[in-house]
Amino acid sequence: MVQAKNLTKTYSDRNVVDNISFDVKPGEVFGILGPNGAGKTTTLEMLEALRPIDGGSATIAGIDVAKDPYAIRAIIGVQPQSPSFQDKTKLTELLQLFAAAYGLTVDAKQHLASVQLEDKAGSYVEQLSGGQRQRFSIAAALVHEPKVFFLDEPTTGLDPQARRNLWELVRDIKKRGVTVVITTHYMEEAELLCDRIAVMDAGKIIALDSPKNLVRNLLKKGFKKEQHVEQANLEDVFIDLTGKALRD
Amino acid sequence: MKQFRSILIFALIDIKRSFRDKTALFFIFVFPLIFLFVFGGIFGGNNGPSFNVALLNQADNSFTKEFLKNAQKDDLIKINKDIKTESDAREKMKRGEIDAIIKLPGSFGEVTGGQPYPSGQAEVVVDQNSAQAGATLKSIFDAIFNQVNKEITKAPTPFTAKLTVSKEQGLNQFDYTFAGLLGFSILSLGIFGPTSVFPRMKQQGILRRYHTTTLRVWQFFTANVLSQMFVGVLSVALMFAVALTFFDLNMRGDYLTMLVVVLLGTATMFGVGLAVGGWAKNENQAAPLANLITFPMMFLSGTFFPRFLMPDWLQTISGLLPLTPIVDALRFVVTEGRNLFEIGPELGLTAIWLVVIYVIAFRVFRWD
Repeated sequence: MVQAKNLTKTYSDRNVVDNISFDVKPGEVFGILGPNGAGKTTTLEMLEALRPIDGGSATIAGIDVAKDPYAIRAIIGVQPQSPSFQDKTKLTELLQLFAAAYGLTVDAKQHLASVQLEDKAGSYVEQLSGGQRQRFSIAAALVHEPKVFFLDEPTTGLDPQARRNLWELVRDIKKRGVTVVITTHYMEEAELLCDRIAVMDAGKIIALDSPKNLVRNLLKKGFKKEQHVEQANLEDVFIDLTGKALRD
Repeated sequence: MKQFRSILIFALIDIKRSFRDKTALFFIFVFPLIFLFVFGGIFGGNNGPSFNVALLNQADNSFTKEFLKNAQKDDLIKINKDIKTESDAREKMKRGEIDAIIKLPGSFGEVTGGQPYPSGQAEVVVDQNSAQAGATLKSIFDAIFNQVNKEITKAPTPFTAKLTVSKEQGLNQFDYTFAGLLGFSILSLGIFGPTSVFPRMKQQGILRRYHTTTLRVWQFFTANVLSQMFVGVLSVALMFAVALTFFDLNMRGDYLTMLVVVLLGTATMFGVGLAVGGWAKNENQAAPLANLITFPMMFLSGTFFPRFLMPDWLQTISGLLPLTPIVDALRFVVTEGRNLFEIGPELGLTAIWLVVIYVIAFRVFRWD
């Protein structure tokens, strides 16, 4: 579905994305992991036709990203790292704007309901909490029913409830048959959501496999972790105490 | 078709947003009115403490020289020495630059008809709008002549002053100023809004988000221009309402012609704001450039200061500014009642600027 071939981005003689290749299969959730500055966001932005590709090529659904950026934009949805929207504009109006940007008209209320924001229809974005804003941003990114959905560190800065809720949303989106490409630096998130993971460091992909295989390969090398027999961790305690219900 | 519907949706929501934004509302409606009240207060009255007149003197004798010296003594009458011909004087009077024309015929002050003393008649020419000034001027002259008459002879007055009201509709100072204020309002509305809003939207990643969609730059531009034209017309309409109510504006042109000038002017000035705001990555880049472009137009295009007061070379330079034909057109419609055909040159020049400015705006636009 998404194909990167020798993809390269150069800033002042340094390859921030260095000759990477991967192939995202239709309907899977593909994770890109890596420390800050590894080149995750730059990779996404090249695939999204937001940044010129300096070397190699990328295709989505067979369309060359560099050659036909508008055809690409029509079939992808983009969730940026910190979504923000113009102020003093109602959520329904913002969804109308995004639909109009694709030349469509939509039932804004229905799209809000799909991210549990139907009762916020008349609110402005500045009145939403961080988690609500993330959810709204997802609704905006999916307003044109894209084939591929890109999320850039969607859960950074969210509380545990909002994070879990977002995972649920991503699973729902996957069920609808949408291919998902997600970057994160939360391992738990990657393990729970992703079918396959590319680990990036210094612009290169240093591992690419399913979470299970990656762990298995590490164990094969003789890796041993200090044994813990606890059946729960602090997050389990937190969720047990505060419940799973969303707080916004 | 779909693309145009999208443009309308963007424009409509942008207009709604403007009305929810107190800062925007202030700059659209209150800011121009502040200037209107300040300048209306200064130029509202037609009667200054002194009178600017043109002197058309055909007499050349010692009496006339002495008479003119006395007439200017108490600063009530200021003679504009640049005006030499009657047509020039009438033109300037029409524009409100002078209050009256004083005509002294060649025979003025000559000793004729076997009389022992000089005689003659001074003519004070004014137009309808400064009839009051004319009446005052005439009494000033009467007083001077009475003095002279008394000195020369105790006989019935050989000198008289005659008041003539010309048929040309005059222009009062406020009407002239108002047209300039309209230009200033269109300038500030078109430039200060987008040069602060677009860089801010870029820094927050709002424009970048639209860039991930299939929205085209021209659609985004068109929507913003439509919204701006709507708001601009409302702003100008409010200025007209206030000027007509509080300052006895004498609007000579028709409002449909005015609408065309305002729409074209607003679109052109907004293009300047769009070019600067669309190019700048942040407000630090936008603000100095916006000021650099705005200030010359604000002071040289005839908004606050009439261009005819400038030296010739400066008039030539200021004629090249994009706001100048807009202000000229506004002024011709308000003060002279010219129609669309008559302001064709100004509209044509503005249209050329419109094209040039938008070509630049398209070239330099950045989504982030």
